Amino acid sequence: MTAETPSELIIVIDDDYAMRLSCRKILSKSGFRVEDFEDGAEALNAISRLKPALVLVDLKMPGIGGLEVITRLHEIDPQIISIVITGYATIDTAVEAMKSGAYDFLPKPFSPEELRIIVNRGLERRRLALESHRHEIERALLTRRFVTFVSHQLQTPLVAIHQYLDVLKHLGDSADVAAKRNEWLDRCLRRTEDMQKLIKDWLTLSSVESGAYARRHDRVELSGIISTILQSYETMAALDGIQLESKAPAGPCAVFGDANCVSVVLDNLITNAIKYNKPGGRVTVTAEPANGEIAISVADTGIGIPEESRPFLFEEFFRVKQEAAQQKAGTGLGLAICKKIVSEMGGTIDVQSQPGTGSTFRVRLPAWREQPASEVVLVNGLAQEDSDRGR
Amino acid sequence: MDLRKKILIVDDDADFTESLSAFLEAKGFHTLKARDGGEGLKIARLQRPDLIIMDVVMNERTEGFFTVQQLRRVPELQATPIFVLSSIYSTHPEFQISPDSGWLAHDEFLSKPPDMNDLLGRIRRHLAPKEATA
Ligand SMILES: Nc1ncnc2c1ncn2[C@@H]1O[C@H](COP(=O)(O)OP(=O)(O)O)[C@@H](O)[C@H]1O
Ligand SMILES: [Mg+2]
Repeated sequence: MTAETPSELIIVIDDDYAMRLSCRKILSKSGFRVEDFEDGAEALNAISRLKPALVLVDLKMPGIGGLEVITRLHEIDPQIISIVITGYATIDTAVEAMKSGAYDFLPKPFSPEELRIIVNRGLERRRLALESHRHEIERALLTRRFVTFVSHQLQTPLVAIHQYLDVLKHLGDSADVAAKRNEWLDRCLRRTEDMQKLIKDWLTLSSVESGAYARRHDRVELSGIISTILQSYETMAALDGIQLESKAPAGPCAVFGDANCVSVVLDNLITNAIKYNKPGGRVTVTAEPANGEIAISVADTGIGIPEESRPFLFEEFFRVKQEAAQQKAGTGLGLAICKKIVSEMGGTIDVQSQPGTGSTFRVRLPAWREQPASEVVLVNGLAQEDSDRGR
Repeated sequence: MDLRKKILIVDDDADFTESLSAFLEAKGFHTLKARDGGEGLKIARLQRPDLIIMDVVMNERTEGFFTVQQLRRVPELQATPIFVLSSIYSTHPEFQISPDSGWLAHDEFLSKPPDMNDLLGRIRRHLAPKEATA
């Protein structure tokens, strides 16, 4: 759709000559105009003249550092998309950079494909910001990325299973392989279970996105839901000596919404609290009224979540990259599902955590109120609202 | 002394590595395993494998491509055959570039899961003494 427009200018700022050269090569091959600078100050001087669409900035440079370049860059032109190039060790700084206005970051080393994808995504974002109907298209982009990711997530276990079976078929008679047979079949079963979980979570997420969830506006009493879920995980938790407890207030504590949704959210939070706990730990679920809302919290005494991971926690497929968490099977979709459902229901979700000590996930949902019929109708968005009122 | 040819498998899926390595061991090769690009590079430097099998998507990015580039920068590994083995190739055919046209100097690009007999044939071809193709 933008075939007729002149190609957009991209500026690369990096003190590493090889880096500038390879970015240049890759990007000009894709039809972009490219300028590069070895020094941040020089680049900043040229910004107003060159009017780039996108700037790639290395974080660690002699002279002005990347962070400052980004801040000053956006002072000159807030529409410029800036992408930080950074080594693995500087994820924290990358998060800083995003706070200071960078659009994304690209860890070094990266492939031409990754560079192209991130640049195109950045440019697409800019076009969207410049054009008006950004909302719709942004969603489409996200979905596309999501689909690629899912295909990889599904393909990986299938490949592993296929290969086990194939080798068993080829070499099942050889003593070495025969000895491993049972262990391998168990692994295949594990991987199929993982896939089933992934498909289930993915379907849940898609149906939340398509609006099939959170349709109902019922009175949902929490204590029953909480105790049912806790009971169903008692045996699993007991294996690790983990205690489950619920601290609901004596009186009724009901939210306004969809019981099924509330269950899905609490189920995810509670299984996480058990999964990422420590042997002999505790999980405490509380629910209490708070300013017209109901505050639910799921607290654990588990491994906690490193601060640098928290901004990404509710993103699809995100899993914390630490040994203790990665040992557990998971899809990385649970919290994304929670977040989507909770916001569909008009609530919020957040987390507090102390690495090594534990985490507390807090959900706030609109409390149930007995209302006059007309108001209920109004909330449901039905048309008879006026005639009902008039009566 | 171990006369078997050494094959290094770099892949972040422990199950895939496990079965592939068992297969290759049964076919008379000695296998080494690495779980990511960095580890692969380290082992390759120290152990000088005769052939390397490299996955592409590791650590949520196309790390294998970089590792291939890094391997090629090590003088002793410049001639080591590298097989890039990946399932991205069925969804992104543009990755199937010929070894000498692109920036990625690999020797074979195979889709995952590989056809075991085909894989074995290719490995044997690459590891056969130059004068006689056994
Ligand atoms: N209660 C918790 N304590 C520590 N880490 C957690 C907790 N809940 C979630 N996490 C981290 O957040 C990641 C994403 O959670 P989630 O979306 O439920 O996916 P999954 O559990 O399938 O990996 C988990 O992989 C884990 O690293
Ligand atoms: Mg989970």
